[in-house]
Amino acid sequence: MNDSGMRRDFLKWLGLAGLQFALPWRPYSVHAAEKENVPYPGPYYIVFNASGGWDTTYLMDPKGINEINRLYKEGDILTHGAHTFAPNKQHAVGGLCNEDFFAEFGRELLTFNGLDYSVNNHSPGARYMATGKLDSLAYPTFAALVAACRGGECPLAFLTFGNYSATGNLVAMSRVPYLPSLQKIANADAVDGNERSPYHDDFALARIEAALYEAHLAAEQQPRLPRAERSANMLYAAQSNSKALQRVTQYIPKSVPKERLAQQVEIALASFKAGVCVSANLDIGQFDSHANNDPDQMKLIPEFLAGIAYLLHRAEDLKIREQLVVIVQSEMGRTPTYNAGNGKDHWSIGSAMFLGHGIRGNRVFGATDEKQFAVPLDPQSLQLRPDAGIRIRPEQIHESLRELAGIADHPLSKKFPLGLTDNDKLRGFWG
Amino acid sequence: MLPSFCHKTAIKKSRRSHGLSAAFSVTDFGPVRTVVLALTFLVCYPAHIILGEEPVTRSPMGCLVPAHDFSNPLWLTIGEQKCLTCHQPGGDAAESPFVLMNPQKVELTKRNDAQRQNRAAFVRMATQTENGASRLLQKAIGNLDHGGGAVLKVDSAEYRLLSEFVRRSTGPDEPASRTNESPQRPFFDGVVMLDDRALLRRVTLSLAGRLPTDAEFAAIKQDGKGALPAILESVMKEDAFFDRLREGFNDIFLTLGVDGNADQTCLSYEHFEKTRHWYQHYDLSHIEDKNERQRTEWKIAAEYRQALLGESMKLIEHIVRREKPFTEIVTADYIMVTPYSARGYGVYEEVKSQFKNPADPFEYVPVKLKALVGRSRPEDQESATGFYPHAGLLSTFQYLTRYPTTETNRNRLRARMYYQHFLGVDVLELAARVSDAAAVTAKYEIPTMQASECAVCHRTLDPVAGLFQDYWRFADQGVYGQRKGGWFTDMFGPGYEGADLPADQRWRSLQWLGERTAKDPRFAIAMTEHVYFILTGRKVLLPPRDFEDPLFAAKQRAYAEQRAQTETIAIRFAETGFHLKQVFQDWIASRFYQADGLATAAAEPCRRAELDDVGLVRLLTPEQLERKVHAVFGEKWGRLTEQMATLYGGIDSKEVTDRASDPSGAMGAIQRTLSNDVACKHVPRDFARPVTERMLFPGIESMVTPGVSAEQDALIRQAIVHLHARLLGRDDALDSAEVERTFRLFAGIVQEARDRKGLDSRENYHCRTQKDVPTISDDPHYTVRAWRGVVTYLLRRPEFLYE
Repeated sequence: MNDSGMRRDFLKWLGLAGLQFALPWRPYSVHAAEKENVPYPGPYYIVFNASGGWDTTYLMDPKGINEINRLYKEGDILTHGAHTFAPNKQHAVGGLCNEDFFAEFGRELLTFNGLDYSVNNHSPGARYMATGKLDSLAYPTFAALVAACRGGECPLAFLTFGNYSATGNLVAMSRVPYLPSLQKIANADAVDGNERSPYHDDFALARIEAALYEAHLAAEQQPRLPRAERSANMLYAAQSNSKALQRVTQYIPKSVPKERLAQQVEIALASFKAGVCVSANLDIGQFDSHANNDPDQMKLIPEFLAGIAYLLHRAEDLKIREQLVVIVQSEMGRTPTYNAGNGKDHWSIGSAMFLGHGIRGNRVFGATDEKQFAVPLDPQSLQLRPDAGIRIRPEQIHESLRELAGIADHPLSKKFPLGLTDNDKLRGFWG
Repeated sequence: MLPSFCHKTAIKKSRRSHGLSAAFSVTDFGPVRTVVLALTFLVCYPAHIILGEEPVTRSPMGCLVPAHDFSNPLWLTIGEQKCLTCHQPGGDAAESPFVLMNPQKVELTKRNDAQRQNRAAFVRMATQTENGASRLLQKAIGNLDHGGGAVLKVDSAEYRLLSEFVRRSTGPDEPASRTNESPQRPFFDGVVMLDDRALLRRVTLSLAGRLPTDAEFAAIKQDGKGALPAILESVMKEDAFFDRLREGFNDIFLTLGVDGNADQTCLSYEHFEKTRHWYQHYDLSHIEDKNERQRTEWKIAAEYRQALLGESMKLIEHIVRREKPFTEIVTADYIMVTPYSARGYGVYEEVKSQFKNPADPFEYVPVKLKALVGRSRPEDQESATGFYPHAGLLSTFQYLTRYPTTETNRNRLRARMYYQHFLGVDVLELAARVSDAAAVTAKYEIPTMQASECAVCHRTLDPVAGLFQDYWRFADQGVYGQRKGGWFTDMFGPGYEGADLPADQRWRSLQWLGERTAKDPRFAIAMTEHVYFILTGRKVLLPPRDFEDPLFAAKQRAYAEQRAQTETIAIRFAETGFHLKQVFQDWIASRFYQADGLATAAAEPCRRAELDDVGLVRLLTPEQLERKVHAVFGEKWGRLTEQMATLYGGIDSKEVTDRASDPSGAMGAIQRTLSNDVACKHVPRDFARPVTERMLFPGIESMVTPGVSAEQDALIRQAIVHLHARLLGRDDALDSAEVERTFRLFAGIVQEARDRKGLDSRENYHCRTQKDVPTISDDPHYTVRAWRGVVTYLLRRPEFLYE
């Protein structure tokens, strides 16, 4: 059914329920149902998490000194445009090496080094990096927040494949673990999803929808507990908006890729392309290389980069690459020294990378020093100021992300303030 | 005289008026989850109670808040979070003149004293000046060589709060600034509770996955809620309750999420070399067909692994079923085994006489294992008794495998999970920010012992990690084994809450831990919280931390009310011998469980914030939804399994460990499919049954059509009332708006079908053709399909999909 047809149906439900001219105060659900017909056009936000803590000195913040890296020396460090990066072509196991990654995407890439996670435990680190708030369990992740602000009515507004995924009760979290799962739920009103075998005749289904809508409105007239109110609205929206999932099927690839990130990417992209999703939280783990750091990181970093490249290539195929905003992060870094097991332990300083819609690439801000400590920065000029600068923490990154997404002043964002003064905010970060 | 919120007289009065004195004075509740929790209950909980004689003010959002309170918010936001870390005995600033008492570490009956001393310490610091300014304020912002640096910013709300405290502490006495405000209304004022029938339906569905029986309805009708305890007692003896219990506790302990095949990951080659793969040598020679024999072996192996995985939760079932003290989850000197898993441990011959049916792979009995014997002598388990030192869940192979260790993790994950699971303390819940964590890491040789920022947690965590030291095997190597070279010396040694593990207790260190855990008052609180989680699907509230939140006071009140209820139930739990069923009884009897609606709309932000988490309103899990479909229709839908269950917000106990609490669009789609499919299956089937056997349409035939006569319309309305009651638990009157709406849906579909030409006179092909099940096929008036529409509509309603 095309959009105008669906809209006619919606109006027809109102008619069937005798409600065309008697709509009370606009409920969230009506708003959602009305907007259901319009595919979300982007931008699409996608967060790559390297769960466990990546070794940034083997990627975008190379050192090669002070025994920080055993696989290369300072003189081996490579550059591409503004970027400096660790060489790993010789050591990478599978995936995409740094050399190829920066060669292809460096001009689009914005890197921030010397990010202070403030803690070095996985759980609070992951929460902090995902939400921008260290000391609260109530804050939504950026991906959830932007989904709620930009397209809460989308049936899969916020997709997650792991990592910290709190929603702040703003939007439902969707887990779609396998590509075929999308197919299963795409045509819910037909037997086995076969459009030719509907459970109900059209007119009967329209009346069911109208009755549900009427019941929903009637419930809204009753005094209810806040939880009941919220749940009823989310349930109604979930069912109504789920019809838009029909649009997804055409974008589900016939074959499922083997790589774990690529599988997540395909689900996210099909959902983006169908306009039923705003943000996706992608994740691979095992970066926590307390033992044998180098072999682990040489396997995982290339796998991670290959996943990012896969996303960008497939998005190109689907013609939505220009609408992507890609955030690449981890919840911590790794120590500048090796432990007795040839591993590296937790380090509270790290990096993040960004790429896509509204982001000017080929730039690097922030830095770590020769011992991998963060170098303070002037947030106004984005210049290093070892003596007068401040430590840049996830709050600043998240404030900037909110600005990039145009949601910094959204009422939902205001519910979750990041507590920064104007002087603390990064200026001109996105270029 | 300084204005003080927590007047002794006021507290005494509050105890009298709320009948809590016994709870406070008799039971030593000792340390609870956090300082916040303890103080809130003991010092601040009476806040709203005693407001009648306490001054109140309004927050920026208009929330009523008690004024001049040291404990809240000053202690919660500054004292506990910023000062206590170092300024306590054993802390980095223990030698300073500003030493506070940690209420977590003192007995319950002495906590008021502790808090009074803390307040006095704050006042002393506030009144001391240097360079004309309060030392307290100067230290807070990092002046006067404060060892902890700046802990507050001058422009922060916390600093303003502290300044106000200093002003009041140093200024002239002033009368409390009373307002003309009325005392706060009772917390549940205006909240409507479930009626008795609805409550009964909620509990039988929740605990036993079934609808109430006629006898239960009759008992409730006769005795009201007074009949509930006896009904619950009976419900909690049903097998379905124990299924639910295991499912609920697995959501917490996640022991079903052991990686790999349990016979290999839980049972090591080192200790179970000859027995763990018993099924490979099991005599199946009586099965002639080779393929059949192979399939049987696979089946046995699968059931064996499933039985092994289930042992931990079966232990919980055993304790509750036998009404043993629930402290046995940390003290039981046995494990639960089946005929299959007993073979894996190599104890089948010893215990087989205990099984009623040795062929049942899932019959569990308690067994005490002997100390493990390794392939080489050093791998033998030390034991003074000759038995494995069982300590309830703590020492089960499944729990230890589910939460493994590594050379660098050093059992800290286990210690963390121990605190979370058994004492309700999430040590990583709200990590303290360190001004430069990397510098701290680099500065100290052993930061976890030497840096105060790290030691504050590691001093508690690491000793417990050390208690797990003899379970030092990594992935796929089983669990038991000692570390070569002995336990780490660069971490705090084995012990518990300040007490060192005696050397002669080392071989039974987890039993030593379990014994202390059972006596720790936090245990009762944690178990009470677990039951709340099982019943509601969500954790208890955490105390609000953000003082700048304009709704802070409202959130604080919501937290305090719920906390008070939790503690009341926990006290009873402890006092009555740790019988877990009592906790279920008490939560169900509470207003938190029974709250169902509002008498009038709550529009004020403060009141809404107070009530934000009130009311069960739980989206049914995939398992619960299947059970509800079974209860109502006599058969599960059967499709909410595996991938579909995950898609519907379920967990796999491994990677996905938190259930979805709100429906996504994907879940909405599944709800549509379920409602369509279940209605398709059961409506034509029910009409095909004899009237006396019908579940959905006992009083009406499919040929009854609307608009023909008043009698037929009345029959239809009665059928709708029945459906509303059966599917939604609603008790609607024949002439209610709800029934009218459903009637219009039914009549509208029939009428529109009548107006359309060319419609099939038979029910939908897929709904009328069901394998081996009689259905009704002819549908000349479209009424069967219209009833199907009605059932679809009802199955999509919140009353069906939520608890």
